[in-house]
Amino acid sequence: MTTAGSGEDLLIARVSEELRRPVEASPGFDARVMAAVRRAPPPLPARVWAWLREPRALAVSPLGGFAAAAVVAALLVAGTWVVVRTTRAPGEMGEAAAPAARGASSVVTFVLVAPRARTVALAGDFDGWDRTRLPMRRGVSGLWTLDVPLAPGRYQYAFVVDGRQFVADPSAPRAVGDDFGAPNSVVTVSGDAPRGAGGSL
Amino acid sequence: MNARILPVAAALTLLALPRALSAQVDRLAGRVDDRTRAAVTAIVDSARASGVPATPLINKALEGASKGASGDRIATAVRALAGDLGAARSALGGAATEPELVAGAAALRAGAEPAYLARLRSTYPRESLVVPLAVTADLVARGVPADTATQTVLTLMHEGVQDADLVAFRQSVERDVALGAPAGGTAAALAGAVVGGQSLPTQPGPAATRPRKP
Repeated sequence: MTTAGSGEDLLIARVSEELRRPVEASPGFDARVMAAVRRAPPPLPARVWAWLREPRALAVSPLGGFAAAAVVAALLVAGTWVVVRTTRAPGEMGEAAAPAARGASSVVTFVLVAPRARTVALAGDFDGWDRTRLPMRRGVSGLWTLDVPLAPGRYQYAFVVDGRQFVADPSAPRAVGDDFGAPNSVVTVSGDAPRGAGGSL
Repeated sequence: MNARILPVAAALTLLALPRALSAQVDRLAGRVDDRTRAAVTAIVDSARASGVPATPLINKALEGASKGASGDRIATAVRALAGDLGAARSALGGAATEPELVAGAAALRAGAEPAYLARLRSTYPRESLVVPLAVTADLVARGVPADTATQTVLTLMHEGVQDADLVAFRQSVERDVALGAPAGGTAAALAGAVVGGQSLPTQPGPAATRPRKP
């Protein structure tokens, strides 16, 4: 057993020595590997990014240009009317603002997105439902705004688009009942003293 | 009535009116025809005799005029509002303010019972009820059953919820209903959450001017 074991040890030692011997590459091997790496295409994201950054000239026919412009215009005007109302304290009114009402305690900002509208006005209980008295100011992308100082109370109102079409505020509570075939919206302004808890139910 | 007599009758009616009422009726000048003006003036005069304010009635007539409604339709709407305002005044008492009467009339038209208004007034005799009544009307308009809306507002007020929180509560209900939740169940659940100590999202502040989708 001892003699056989020594033979095995010797074999293992020789194999181990052979495996540890450094591999010597042929002359020019490194250069050939690096050349192959340079020839390999870059990863897809890098290629896409390079394509996007590379300046290029586009040839567009007049008809194609008109079509592209029409698509952009359609996207701009196809938006739906969106309305925002926020309540602020008096003195924080924006550029488009109505005169302060007597006893006004809050400034309500009315906003309507109506890209196709030529004029938009606000009409309601606070201005005698006048279709022209409170014109709204047009901003970017057809955004119409108006600040209105209001006294505490509950008011019905609507937007008057192009001087004739009454449009309810889709983001505000709708008034119950429709007396004249065009629904109104409601804004409630609170300005009263805090209320205590309690009372019997 | 003869068309020539109408302006004279309207002028005589105006001369006989108290100065404050006359100033209100003057707002109709140039907005409605003489016949409609006379009819509205008669309704307003009668309503004022029972303590109903003239301004909301004149505003209703002006709304109709602005929307191109016929004179008969304007008179009908003004008469209906006068009835609601009168009922609100009866329920809320003679000391009710004009904004309270307007909000109360809206709540009644939405389906609230006069007894609800009376209960609110008796429970909170000195506080303004504009916002609670307005929120009640808004909740019903959003689909919350009237009895659920009234009971919910009463419960929240009993818990000491303030006006701003009532408005926030209404907004939460609207948001959930818009997302498909049943209105009545949503109102009750949110009210239960408030009573249980959870807070509702507050209204957007001055800087929060981002557009919201309808």
